[in-house]
Amino acid sequence: MKPFAYRRADDVAAAVALLSQDRHAVFLGGGTNLVDHLRLGVATPDTLVDVSRLPLDRIEELPGGGLRVGATVRNSDLAADPLVRQRYPVLSQALLSGASGQLRNAATTAGNLLQRTRCVYFQDVTTACNKRDPGSGCSALGGYQRYHAILGASPECTATHPSDMAVAMAALDAVVQVVGPDGERAVPIGDFHRLPGDRPHHDTVLGHGDLVTAVDLPPLPETVRSRYRKVRDRASYAFALVSVAAALDVRDGVVADVRIALGGVAHKPWRASLAEQELRGAPATEDSFRRAAEAELAAAQPVDGNAFKVPLARNTLVATLRELTGGTPR
Amino acid sequence: MGITRTPTSLTQSSATRGGIGESTLRPDGTLKVTGEFAYSSDLWHEDMLWGYTLRSTVAHAAIVSIDTSEALATSGVYAVLTYDDLPTEVKHYGLEIRDTPVLAHGKVRHHGEPVALVAADHPETARRAAAKIRVEYDALPVITDEASATAPDAVLVHEGRDDHHIGHVPHPNIVHRQPIVRGDADRAAERADVVVSGEYVFGMQDQAFLGPESGLAVPAEDGGVDLYVATQWLHSDLRQIAPVLGLPERKVRMTLSGVGGAFGGREDLSMQIHGCLLALRTGKPVKIVYNRFESFFGHVHRHPARLWYEHGATRNGKLTHVRCRIVLDGGAYASASPAVVGNAASLSIGPYVVEDVDIEALALYTNNPPCGAMRGFGAVQACFAYEAQMDKVAAELGMDPVEFRQVNAMEQGTVMPTGQTVDSPAPVAELLRRVKSRPLPPERQWETTEGADVRALPGGLSNTTHGEGVVRGVGYAVGIKNVGFSEGFDDYSTARVRMQVINGEPVATVHTAMAEVGQGGVTVHAQIARSELGVTQVTIQPADTQVGSAGSTSASRQTYMTGGAVKNTCEAVREKVLDLGRRRFGSYHPAWATAELLLEGGKVVTDGGEALADIADVLEDDVVDLELEFRHRPTQAFDLRTGQGNGHVQYSFAAHRAVVEVDTELGLVKVVELACAQDVGKALNPLSVVGQIQGGTTQGLGVAVMEEIVVDPKTALVRNPSFTDYLIPTILDTPTIPVDVLELADEHAPYGLRGIGEAPTLSSTPAVLAAIRQATGLELNRTPVRPEHLTGS
Ligand SMILES: Cc1cc2nc3c(=O)[nH]c(=O)nc-3n(C[C@H](O)[C@H](O)[C@H](O)COP(=O)(O)OP(=O)(O)OC[C@H]3O[C@@H](n4cnc5c(N)ncnc54)[C@H](O)[C@@H]3O)c2cc1C
Repeated sequence: MKPFAYRRADDVAAAVALLSQDRHAVFLGGGTNLVDHLRLGVATPDTLVDVSRLPLDRIEELPGGGLRVGATVRNSDLAADPLVRQRYPVLSQALLSGASGQLRNAATTAGNLLQRTRCVYFQDVTTACNKRDPGSGCSALGGYQRYHAILGASPECTATHPSDMAVAMAALDAVVQVVGPDGERAVPIGDFHRLPGDRPHHDTVLGHGDLVTAVDLPPLPETVRSRYRKVRDRASYAFALVSVAAALDVRDGVVADVRIALGGVAHKPWRASLAEQELRGAPATEDSFRRAAEAELAAAQPVDGNAFKVPLARNTLVATLRELTGGTPR
Repeated sequence: MGITRTPTSLTQSSATRGGIGESTLRPDGTLKVTGEFAYSSDLWHEDMLWGYTLRSTVAHAAIVSIDTSEALATSGVYAVLTYDDLPTEVKHYGLEIRDTPVLAHGKVRHHGEPVALVAADHPETARRAAAKIRVEYDALPVITDEASATAPDAVLVHEGRDDHHIGHVPHPNIVHRQPIVRGDADRAAERADVVVSGEYVFGMQDQAFLGPESGLAVPAEDGGVDLYVATQWLHSDLRQIAPVLGLPERKVRMTLSGVGGAFGGREDLSMQIHGCLLALRTGKPVKIVYNRFESFFGHVHRHPARLWYEHGATRNGKLTHVRCRIVLDGGAYASASPAVVGNAASLSIGPYVVEDVDIEALALYTNNPPCGAMRGFGAVQACFAYEAQMDKVAAELGMDPVEFRQVNAMEQGTVMPTGQTVDSPAPVAELLRRVKSRPLPPERQWETTEGADVRALPGGLSNTTHGEGVVRGVGYAVGIKNVGFSEGFDDYSTARVRMQVINGEPVATVHTAMAEVGQGGVTVHAQIARSELGVTQVTIQPADTQVGSAGSTSASRQTYMTGGAVKNTCEAVREKVLDLGRRRFGSYHPAWATAELLLEGGKVVTDGGEALADIADVLEDDVVDLELEFRHRPTQAFDLRTGQGNGHVQYSFAAHRAVVEVDTELGLVKVVELACAQDVGKALNPLSVVGQIQGGTTQGLGVAVMEEIVVDPKTALVRNPSFTDYLIPTILDTPTIPVDVLELADEHAPYGLRGIGEAPTLSSTPAVLAAIRQATGLELNRTPVRPEHLTGS
């Protein structure tokens, strides 16, 4: 591990200032992802600015029925929060399906949103990777691609975003609150994570020194049911091969509103707007669900190693929607 | 110490507590679960340096140059070593074939091969200095499978082989090949009413022990070195280490340190020679600890295999013949490959009676990671394939798969394909009957009054199905494993036992070099000493090389072999104690001369239960101290053309029934129950027996549904060297494992026991596969089975 200095920021302004002064400083949340990267040599900062104890650890109600989730709220606290469980079960379920109890106790909201890909080549510093080492090439192309993207990949990078929480937030139209060197701004979650394009080393639209302070969750109408489904290789403690976050509002057998995001399929939580379009106003039937899934996945560009994700994503989406139209309470 | 009571005043004896057959608790158990047990990675010495290993980043390349100057110039660095720094003419090591360079020479043959060593005053300094070593590679073609290995113009993984297998292998990139021909498979095939063939692929499994490779080498004043290390076989290590260091074996003193699991992965050397070289070079203690990433490169794995099988049977369900070809990928170095080939070939048809067979097994040299010992080696891969075949034939015949197996099951007296007669109980049909007769776990166990308990469903905590689309399947399998080292190997164990009186009480001290790797050997040794010597107090001395070899903690052999050695030595010690007693007290009671005498409950007793003397009184200040070797029956090498020969010592059998539930839509599997029945000959410690069976069963489950080291077929680079990418079962993936233990004595073995550690690993995997096949109707000829193989089925 490359040696680094450790600083703890007392408030948001100080945290941002500390980074602005030092191009090689990074924020430290719960450290469950960053510390791994320090040890693997994937991240080599000079300074860690610990933001995990900033006073951003509250979940507050917003006017109109939404919630503001502080950046340092631990994943386990967020998952257990009664308001979250009541209003956004999809989010609670997504969190609980991720990592382990111990990790969730340490991991923060902002850290989870900003966790980096689990692409094996990204994590192996002896191989070429455009995300870790821009311009060095992509070893995953033509390599081991079981976990890689079927949607929105580029010739530079086919990595997937690993977060479960972020997929639920994508379906919920969350808004990320950021304080940076140039002041505050709000970034809709759909614009927050990027597709790789020719700059895969940028996971998000954040610049150096941009601190995530909170994530806002807009209200969901009472009639909306939401659900997270994750498919992985073992019964707990593994990343998603494919996951689906869906919120569905069915009135008189017709889809009044629907939001769907897919995990494990792209460089970012994938908002399935084509599927949503297909579904809005359609009868809430197995047929519509299948057509919607197929509409979304028509653009998929799988390779040998991950072709299974196309049928798997379709089946998972259909199963989730089917369940949301079934008799169980939300 | 004088006589405190006259011998005649003694009457009845009390049985010794904590002897064999009891589930005494492990001395290391509480320490381990409370985190207080000292593992080898916890070793510490004042003033010690840290060693670090620079490893190859490519799988096959010529080394053009190595520049260590910058690394050496780093402050805090004490030594940088490459092949050129090796002190003697002996620069290679290996379990059987010394083909592994201590540090790469001329070329690297696999990803992660050690190229250079650094010792520094801080682990991070060592690592960073290693990063400054410049190695220039010139890429060579990468050999990754049989086709590329055995092409006429294939690059040789090892030039100029002179090992004892080179004379009989068809290509220098084949480590060893063992055919077995018995009867006439061609003619027998003519009798077959059904013939079923299949090709199977077994993925590369990792031992995934939790304690990474680690050890501490301390230079000694006599020019020797003391090495504390987690290993499976101290004396085999010693034999390989000493010549490389240029030291006589007595100057390399090895002590076993806390071992965090092994499963075969510590039978080969890892840091042993490296640590000693650095310690001797710097004159300082040197500690080396691998991290998880490095550990995946620091030990051999289970051989991946491709297996072709053809089975024939008559309409009434009798097997006519088996033809098979098993190709094991041994990777870059031989390790245990020859023995793996021998097992795969000799056990290739499973525990069945087939008179006409045509078998071939071989191991390749490739540029994939070296593969060697892992629980059940050779037999595991074969069992996966032959049990799949048995189901296929049964289906073809329209027979019940268990009944079909029972019709063909071997028994005591059966002749193996090698011509060896099975001369102890082989209750194959009975084991199958037992797992089959168990009531099936109830259906829909996930249903609770509060909705579905997702933990009981496929997908587990991922919260997928709540019961929709879930299909149940049931599958059976049975396997056969050899116990102990086979094929003419001089397999022995040594035990030293001392008996003396301490604080008025007789105490036995047992000293062996047996590596306790978590299997519970030390627990059993104490039980044996209690039973044989009638004492309560037994001290187990740390395992080291100050006593003779105990052989390897592998091949299910330690309770048989080192347990046997402890028993043997205890018996000899007992005779000495009784001799002393006869001399001291013989005149007090005629039974001293006439009766069969035992030591029990601290006393000398007659076989009629009459107590003659306190052991403490017999011993007084005398110390009885003996060190003896114990050997199992000799075995023979297999004939290199026909495979005939009495190659094995003992066989071990287990059967499984797997009950799975599959979410066919999402391709997720829940193994609901994995019932096992196993013959253990004699359960010396019933709790440990169940633990071994459950552990082996779980390791077999892992390879069935998730475990696989992924090696890139083009570059031979390892793609998932971490526990986030190489998945092993969590407790949630682990089903209920009811265990049915049979105790049919093998009269050739100590206490009639049978080695037990490996057999449950064999049949677990094919049972799970069979159950998934039954649930889904899919063919599934490969391990592991993952969602991509099942989704939408
Ligand atoms: C074994 C294992 C299994 C896992 N399984 C899953 C899983 O199944 N599903 C899943 O979703 N996740 C999983 N994870 C990932 C886990 O969720 C993340 O590691 C965690 O959420 C990261 O949060 P953190 O607070 O520890 O982030 P850190 O590691 O502290 O930081 C992560 C990144 O966020 C940046 N950062 C932190 N806080 C801020 C801030 N306020 N503003 C701007 N930048 C910030 C850091 O600079 C760093 O780049 C797993 C992790 C492990 C180790």
